[in-house]
Amino acid sequence: MASPEKVGREITYTEAAREALTSAMERDSTIFVLGEGIGERGGNFNTTKGLYERFGPRRLRDTPICERGFVGLCTGAAMTGTRPIVDFMFIDFILDAVGELTNQIAKIQYMTSGRLKMPVLLRGCVGVGGGAATHHSGSYFPFFVNVPGFRVVVPTTPYDAKGLLATALRCDDPVLFLEHKSLLNVRGDVPDEDYSIPFGQARVCREGTHVTIVGVGPLVPKSLAAAATLASEGVSVEVIDPRTLAPLDMETILTSVGKTGKLLVADESFGPCGIGAEIAAQVMDQGFDDLAAPVRRLNGVHTPTPYSPPLEAAVVPSVDQVAAAVRELAAE
Amino acid sequence: MAIDVVMPRLGWTMEEGTLVDWLKSPGDAVAAGDLLFTVESDKALNEIESMDTGTLHIPSNAPTTGDVVPVGAVIGYLLADGEQGPAEVPPPPAVTGASGAAASSATATATATATATATAEAAASTSSPTPGKSVPISPRARKLAKELGVHWESLSGSGSTGRITEDDIRTAAQNAAAAGPAPQSDGGQLASTESITGERTPMSPLRRAIAERLSLSHRDGAPVTLTAELDATDLVELRERTKPRPAFNDYLIRYVATALDRHPALNTSLSGADVVQREGIHIGFAVDTDKGLLVPVIRDADGKSVEQIARESSALSGRALRGELTGDKMTGGTFTITNLGAAGIDAFTPIVNPPQGAILGVGRIAQRPAVHDGQIVVRWLCVVSLTFDHRIVDGGPAARFLATLRQMVEAPASS
Repeated sequence: MASPEKVGREITYTEAAREALTSAMERDSTIFVLGEGIGERGGNFNTTKGLYERFGPRRLRDTPICERGFVGLCTGAAMTGTRPIVDFMFIDFILDAVGELTNQIAKIQYMTSGRLKMPVLLRGCVGVGGGAATHHSGSYFPFFVNVPGFRVVVPTTPYDAKGLLATALRCDDPVLFLEHKSLLNVRGDVPDEDYSIPFGQARVCREGTHVTIVGVGPLVPKSLAAAATLASEGVSVEVIDPRTLAPLDMETILTSVGKTGKLLVADESFGPCGIGAEIAAQVMDQGFDDLAAPVRRLNGVHTPTPYSPPLEAAVVPSVDQVAAAVRELAAE
Repeated sequence: MAIDVVMPRLGWTMEEGTLVDWLKSPGDAVAAGDLLFTVESDKALNEIESMDTGTLHIPSNAPTTGDVVPVGAVIGYLLADGEQGPAEVPPPPAVTGASGAAASSATATATATATATATAEAAASTSSPTPGKSVPISPRARKLAKELGVHWESLSGSGSTGRITEDDIRTAAQNAAAAGPAPQSDGGQLASTESITGERTPMSPLRRAIAERLSLSHRDGAPVTLTAELDATDLVELRERTKPRPAFNDYLIRYVATALDRHPALNTSLSGADVVQREGIHIGFAVDTDKGLLVPVIRDADGKSVEQIARESSALSGRALRGELTGDKMTGGTFTITNLGAAGIDAFTPIVNPPQGAILGVGRIAQRPAVHDGQIVVRWLCVVSLTFDHRIVDGGPAARFLATLRQMVEAPASS
């Protein structure tokens, strides 16, 4: 595996993921993409830009607006040994296919004692941003973490986007690959060559001793910004990016809590029954005696997402809110 | 750059403190968190923790132990490796009353806050848990307490919500080690080194503050006690007629304040080699609580009526018993009254509460046979004992103080 150090080649998150996709499609002719506007148009978020010219209409299939239909189609295609990719554009529309996903895709391997594989990649943009309004701003990580059978991947850097998509395209289980809108144009160092990052391995983005933050998606860069501010106040913050929520690398989180004793889970998606609740419960199960303070959560406001940009900004956790929560924890 | 070690401000009203002892010697390596020196302020002996790391350097003109030092004054330095320290400390900031000191030594005060915290502040903090509720402690601290054998149930927590933290356990373990069988040469040990068995409980910060303070008084003071029997019959009658009815102690606080005004020699403190005539008459009264003895202070008692004093003392006792007394309500006393009358004690010899110079112990007011106008009659009598530090006060002024007090109790004014 290549290292995330400086390689002198900066590309965007979307470009990095597209490199992994291109390379996988060259290597494996069973991979094909379905979705709205992913053919000649190259995808609403440029996820498949240039691939139609390269791989043609057989492998980049534009669909009508009928999510349940084409997700069902992919279920059957995967049973025959292909590797379908459903590109939902906005992940919100995956909800139209929930029956197919939870009752078929997630259960087929179990129902066939593993004789059928289900290597379906379900990708789309998540999160609040850009005045996309309430039908185009969902995150839904916890839905899929809650259902047995799915892998749920939330990359936060170009490097991770490429390495994790490469792993997803070799995985025999259905994978949710969720790309946050605010991260798509983030640039970062990415090696030219292929590499993959295993699922279930969190990344310690910054080491610290006083408080641990587990950030999800865009809350990773926000937590890092807060940590930089807090460092100047003498509060040493460790920031962890779990990178995949299913499987979840509890070992890295527990090791960090063993060191700091204090944990904040920062996630833009809704709080109730969310990732923060799950991590908090597991830390209390397995790391109770390490806790020096109650586990704290910072989540998006539990409300449909507003359209107005100022209101939109008010419903997601800010860098200042992360810093304030850490200050309170540090003072506990 | 040498880091200043300064006299910290340990309470809102503190303007100066006595540098009691260095806990490190010049040339010692000091780490952030090490206990560096002890300061006596009005409330207690405080162990001051270093917030910085370096080698201790004490210039020859720095204050020496026993000196009274203004808040913010530099008493030494912490140096980096190989660094040459300043030859002298700068002159201390002027003390001109609380606001003046704050204005004239703003920088020094800020430094004091930044470089030193008083671990003993917990003793006077308001964060003590409510009696009857379980003591909050983090799981991490509880685990550590088990490892170090610390009984945490009696500790008060320094966490923002009163929770006992990992650091509180470490401090308690250190204190227990310091108070335990390890012999100390400086006379600072609190307990016998004799091997004893039984359940061990580390002293709470409050208990430790009391122990250190009274050891100091007993070790350094020259206490003498004068005893007098007062006829309180008229006072008992006056009190019966007064609504709402004050406590006997409220009258005594009022009368002692007047007696101190007339006999200022009893309102003094010893500080280094100086006798300090205290400004104002602020009378502490001892309150027996579950957690230990607390002494809230009635400020400027000489300017207050019995009724005012009664209202204040009842509010302060209530807060003391509920564990809600803040440190500022216990600081600044110039004289203490301790009353064991309610406990049925006839007479006792109290111990002076440093840096004060004297204390009055009050026994119960009881009906006893007495000679009055040549007849043996039943009267309400009360024994008071005045203990004073003979180093600064002689028997004459002390006796005259008691004579004034007798006059006031035996011919009581109604306010």
